[in-house]
Amino acid sequence: MSTEHIRNFCIIAHIDHGKSTLADRLLEKTHTISSREFRHQMLDDMDLERERGITIKASAVALKLVRNGKEYQLNLIDTPGHVDFNYEVSRSLGACEGALLLVDSSQGVEAQTVANAYLAMEHNLTIIPVISKLDLPQSRPDEVLVEMEKTLGIDPHEALRVSAKTGEGVDAIFDAVIERIPPPKGIADAPLKALIFDSVYDEYRGVIIYLRIFDGSVKVGDEIYMMKTKSSFKVEEVGVFKPKMVVKDCLFAGEVGYCIANIKSLHDVKVGDTVTHNRERAAEALPGYRAPMPMVYCGVYPADNADFHLLREALERLSLNDSSFTFEPETSQALGFGFRCGFNINIVQTAPNVTYEILKTNKEVIRVDNPEKVPPVNEIEEFREPVVRASFVLPTEYVGTVMQFAEGRRGRYKSTDYLSEKRAILVYELPLAEIIFDFFDKMKSATRGYGTLDYDFIGYEPADLVKLDILVSEKRVDALSTIVHRKDAEIKGRKLVKKLKNEISRHLFEVVLQAAIGSRVIARESIRAIAKNVTAKCYGGDITRKRKLLEKQKEGKKRMKSVGNVEIPQKAFLSVLSVDE
Amino acid sequence: MRMIKDTSPKALYIHIPFCVKRCNYCDFNSTVSASNTIDRYLDAVEREFETLKDRYLFHTVYIGGGTPTVLNESQLERLLDSAIHYGMVSDNTREFTVEANPATVTQAKARLLKDHLVNRISIGVQSFQEKHLKMLGRIHTGDDAKDTFALLRKAGFHNINVDLIFGCPGQTLNDWEKDLEVAIGLYPEHVSTYALTYEDDTPLARDLQNEVISNLDESVELEMYKTAITYGTDNGYNHYEISNFAKSGYECVHNNFYWKNLSYAGVGAGAFSFINGVRTAHEKNVLSYIDGILQNNDTTVFRERLPDAQSAAETVVMSLRLRKGVSNADFYERFGCKIDDRFRDQIGNLSREGLVSYEDEHLRLTEKGLFVADTVMAEFL
Repeated sequence: MSTEHIRNFCIIAHIDHGKSTLADRLLEKTHTISSREFRHQMLDDMDLERERGITIKASAVALKLVRNGKEYQLNLIDTPGHVDFNYEVSRSLGACEGALLLVDSSQGVEAQTVANAYLAMEHNLTIIPVISKLDLPQSRPDEVLVEMEKTLGIDPHEALRVSAKTGEGVDAIFDAVIERIPPPKGIADAPLKALIFDSVYDEYRGVIIYLRIFDGSVKVGDEIYMMKTKSSFKVEEVGVFKPKMVVKDCLFAGEVGYCIANIKSLHDVKVGDTVTHNRERAAEALPGYRAPMPMVYCGVYPADNADFHLLREALERLSLNDSSFTFEPETSQALGFGFRCGFNINIVQTAPNVTYEILKTNKEVIRVDNPEKVPPVNEIEEFREPVVRASFVLPTEYVGTVMQFAEGRRGRYKSTDYLSEKRAILVYELPLAEIIFDFFDKMKSATRGYGTLDYDFIGYEPADLVKLDILVSEKRVDALSTIVHRKDAEIKGRKLVKKLKNEISRHLFEVVLQAAIGSRVIARESIRAIAKNVTAKCYGGDITRKRKLLEKQKEGKKRMKSVGNVEIPQKAFLSVLSVDE
Repeated sequence: MRMIKDTSPKALYIHIPFCVKRCNYCDFNSTVSASNTIDRYLDAVEREFETLKDRYLFHTVYIGGGTPTVLNESQLERLLDSAIHYGMVSDNTREFTVEANPATVTQAKARLLKDHLVNRISIGVQSFQEKHLKMLGRIHTGDDAKDTFALLRKAGFHNINVDLIFGCPGQTLNDWEKDLEVAIGLYPEHVSTYALTYEDDTPLARDLQNEVISNLDESVELEMYKTAITYGTDNGYNHYEISNFAKSGYECVHNNFYWKNLSYAGVGAGAFSFINGVRTAHEKNVLSYIDGILQNNDTTVFRERLPDAQSAAETVVMSLRLRKGVSNADFYERFGCKIDDRFRDQIGNLSREGLVSYEDEHLRLTEKGLFVADTVMAEFL
């Protein structure tokens, strides 16, 4: 079967530049869904995405279109647009030949526009520039085209101008996709070679794998073989997404679709793996992806220890759908049983931290994803931290502010480039640890919302780091330990104990708070004991008042964890993050 | 088999929510009202008496406020007459207390009280020193308080309580010692000492918030409290409850019902009742209360029935206020389990800290526990 009528493409854009709206419009125009089924932003189909309001799951949909008497199948592969999901963007691109590079005509080129466009170029995709939101009064398409030319070398004449909202210019997108993006170059009668670019777990059907067929074909009854995991399965169903799953007899070279093969667990499937036939295997696998390496860790604990199993279930569900999310059980003296998660989710309890590398005096290199695992000072030869290259796209008047800001975060200046007279790209190398928590928000407010940020991991570098411990009444509280730069240690230690002093309420005994590096105490505060706490009146029979008073006093105690006899509120565990305020 | 116990209320509280002027620290239900409002209020109270008539037999009756003695002579007479008429009080009533504020009691009123079976008076003295009285927003002087005390003694009252407040902004330990000295010099049968509390939405709390005044250091307050205990016990008073001192045999019987979490009935705006395990409260607003009662509407604005476990906890919390503590026998009779079985962990932990003791089948606060009673009590909730 010929692949001449197939086009595989994706939409890449900075967050909020209207990707979902455009995707909806493409679906609607091709009658892929009836208007009755039409629901805004069809492609965001995971509950989590709705909860968070962002797209993190790649989906695929086949659009049918007739042009010049020929029927085309346009496979739209969705990509996430959030700064943290670089890895997912990359795996969607691997399944395409072309990309619509969508730029909001009022916002202009942003940090992720640049990052995603470069990613697409690395994958040798044909790029179709699309200037969107022409309906907005503040739209400035000509300036934006200049920015695109300057930053990405894009010919302004190639750009399409659309308004996904009104539908203006959308038809031209179809023409461009058909004319400019090459059809997939698969060999129809070669052994099957298909890329797994995503997978989801369905309670009734088991694992559903998302495939891009490069060579050969796959049909029901075939015995398939996963080249990396070296496991084989019998195909039960294949089909395409329209965007609902539609069963087909066979998926051919160049096509994008799904495959169900009685796979019980997502752990049996590796995104990036190559699927081939068990009997007639492909000679070599597709390049695939490098395994995602979680870089940011935090401890997550149930507020009530009895909910431990609920938390585990929730995390398992998340990990099934996102292989860049990892977790393992951990125990904290202070917090009880919880998990160390390689992701940043809503119920964060301990401060997130990055993964460090430590070269020990015995020449062993260890990875440390929890301050708890830092060996004693005398066993450390070199402490290394992950460093990222961060690009800021921002109006020129904020360059100074952001430079100052980045330097305060131990940033190393690399370059400034001007997109236009008004906008610049500023590049810094920064320790990852300095940007994982509030960096993005702070940068946003420093630039009044106009600045954007994208970053890439570039490697580990030695740094003068120390573990800062907190002792509460002489007891070290593991969950309050942090790794900080030596020059900041004293100030941070002082601020932290001061902050904790406000967070921890008074006890019947004096509570001593200390910050220490190794055995050296660098800061100390004490919370004096309650001397008198007795309500005089009994309120003429209104006992409820007394009860309310006492209950108020007890309030929040349930959300506290006790270390020794000291009750530490949950808020205190996050105070390590915001000592600067 | 457990005996079926008589749980009908043995105590009656009557609330008179009127004052000459509201005090700066007060968040009790009190208003400054026109005389005809008071008359209508008494109509409503009378209506409530009528409902209670022949239903219960009260051992103690307590008329509190507000300021009951703000009623004029005819109003006061009418209130007392109807209390007798409807059988709220009788010759058999063990304790009949009326709260009185200095400068509101005339000889005629004192005689009225005496002639209507009142056998205990509680005087809201608070302090004998003008600067503190002014700060508190009281309408009387220290001398007024002494005069009122003398007048009531002369009228034949042999059971008088004096209320004192300590911990006023600017008050020194020496000031407090003087107040205690003057109070004890009057030889009252009963003394209550209350630490000033800054209740939300009171002028005093606002002044504190706005830093017009500053509260006393906790350590000074603690010294004052300790001083009261020393003074009281040295002068032959029994420190029988957190805030209360009495000569032997003059412990307040009425309040004992509250402290033991037993049943009581309440009459008047905002008054609470606790009958057959159900706690209710009347409408607080005086006019709504009056209209509601007189139109035979339900004026209950709050109602709760606590599960046994919570009721048990509340009983412990309230009873710990009493120095002799909670008796295991009483607790067992009421809740069908031993107090040290129900609260094993709390008692264990708190005893280890030296805050409570469990001896002779009584759970009580130690002296150390007394000073941090609220923190200790919260552990039982």
